[in-house]
Amino acid sequence: MDAGKEIVRFEEMGLAYEDAPETLSDVTMTLREGEFRFLTGPSGAGKTSLLKMIYLAHRPTRGRFFLFEENATEAPREALPALRRRIGVVFQEFRLLDHLTAYENVALPMKVAGVNQNQYREDVSELLNWVGLGDRMDAKPPTLSGGEKQRVALARALVSKPDLILADEPTGNVDPAMGERIMKLFVELNKLGAAVIVATHDLHLVQSIGKPVLRIGEGRVTRSAGAGGAA
Amino acid sequence: MTQAEERDTEEETAALKAPRRGIFGRQTAPLLPEAGAAGAPLTAVIAVMSFLAVLAMASLLMVNRAASEWTSALRSEITVQVKGASAEEIESGVEAVLRVLRDTEGVLEANEKSREETAELLEPWLGDGNAQAFLNIPAIIEVKAAPSLRDNLDLLRNRIAAAAPTASLDDHARWHDRLSGAARSGQAMAFGVFLLVMGAACAISIFAARAGLAANHEIVSVLHLVGATDEFIAAEVQRRFFILGLRGALLGLFAALAALVVAGLAMRAGGGTDNFLPSLRLGGWMILWLAAAPVATCLVTAVTARLTVLKTLSQQY
Repeated sequence: MDAGKEIVRFEEMGLAYEDAPETLSDVTMTLREGEFRFLTGPSGAGKTSLLKMIYLAHRPTRGRFFLFEENATEAPREALPALRRRIGVVFQEFRLLDHLTAYENVALPMKVAGVNQNQYREDVSELLNWVGLGDRMDAKPPTLSGGEKQRVALARALVSKPDLILADEPTGNVDPAMGERIMKLFVELNKLGAAVIVATHDLHLVQSIGKPVLRIGEGRVTRSAGAGGAA
Repeated sequence: MTQAEERDTEEETAALKAPRRGIFGRQTAPLLPEAGAAGAPLTAVIAVMSFLAVLAMASLLMVNRAASEWTSALRSEITVQVKGASAEEIESGVEAVLRVLRDTEGVLEANEKSREETAELLEPWLGDGNAQAFLNIPAIIEVKAAPSLRDNLDLLRNRIAAAAPTASLDDHARWHDRLSGAARSGQAMAFGVFLLVMGAACAISIFAARAGLAANHEIVSVLHLVGATDEFIAAEVQRRFFILGLRGALLGLFAALAALVVAGLAMRAGGGTDNFLPSLRLGGWMILWLAAAPVATCLVTAVTARLTVLKTLSQQY
């Protein structure tokens, strides 16, 4: 079987914040179209930093980084928005805009992409209904609970049907049943072709889903394990 | 598929097909928050800038109009002065000059000022009644000239000199040049003030746009991460500054118009418009030109904000 297109490729990549020691060192990995990876490791190991690199919040300080087969290390600033629009991110801290409603937050990626509201209105409301917030579309984030915010953030990440989904502790603030639904949704989207990386501490969830695991420790990818975490 | 999974799937399908409430016709909010408390001072500053810009524009228009009135009056008139040792000599000189003027093409009207009128002109320096008592006051002939004559005065000057050697022709060229120079200085000064006001509006806009970006750093960061281009964010900022600018500019325009109307009424009450000072007549083109000043202030504010945002964002990742 032909290997799918490369979605993410790091070659000897390193990341340092200003003059501090490297947060990530010598990371070499490839994620292909339709692949699913869990990213696990202790707090401070560099999971979030790795995700930030992928969603283009930081540039690597050394090595090379390819995103959708484009050299993102040297990509000009003007090329970044188009790459970012192909990524859906569920941020650990949600990063919702407090002055916008839940509906407007979810619609944000479509609006910045210049899509007419008539074209995304149904998708946005369907997603909000699916995550159980159909009756809270006009609520603003400060009035939502942690779990509700997380579900809005999830809907925002998925609304543009991205080629790559990144989720940083996406089940951290929801009940186990909702956590399981979210993970199953990721699996379904993955089956439809989206590549998925989920950073999580929840090893039970990792084992129950049974997808390959990338372990990270002290800024290095220490082990790439098979499905369910088996090395 | 287990029964539980089938139930979940059915529930999800039902959720997806659930009726959508309150979505159609939904108006989305601006992506950058309304300026709130920070917007009022900026609006006030833009109103002041707009007020000053309108006054500078009004000054420019007034000086333009005054210069035009003064110089056109000077260009259409020439004066012939006839001197003499006695009243008889002056009288014969005047008659000779008037004959020449009547025979000259381009002379529209020629009138001798009466001795009393001429004496009145000297009274501020010589005192009441003294001029006629002690002097042979020269005769003054005022001539309304067609533009064609104006361009060929040397011939007329020579003919007058031949007819009356004590007569001299004054084409007011020196006054014309001085008034034109003064008008140009006034215009330059008013335009300079207008440019200064635009420069100040620019500087304020740069400062406010930078402060706005710093205050909304998290929002801008999220917009970038969901794929917004710098141009998109700059357009949002420009739109917000345009709205603030429009409010301020309109306030400034109305305040300036009110001030001009009051100043016009005050001048009229003081008799200032009877003589030398230009009148303040608001209407037609004058209003349009004055309205251009706040529009310029508003546009300068919005475009400067956009350029500032683009430059600031280009320095980020």
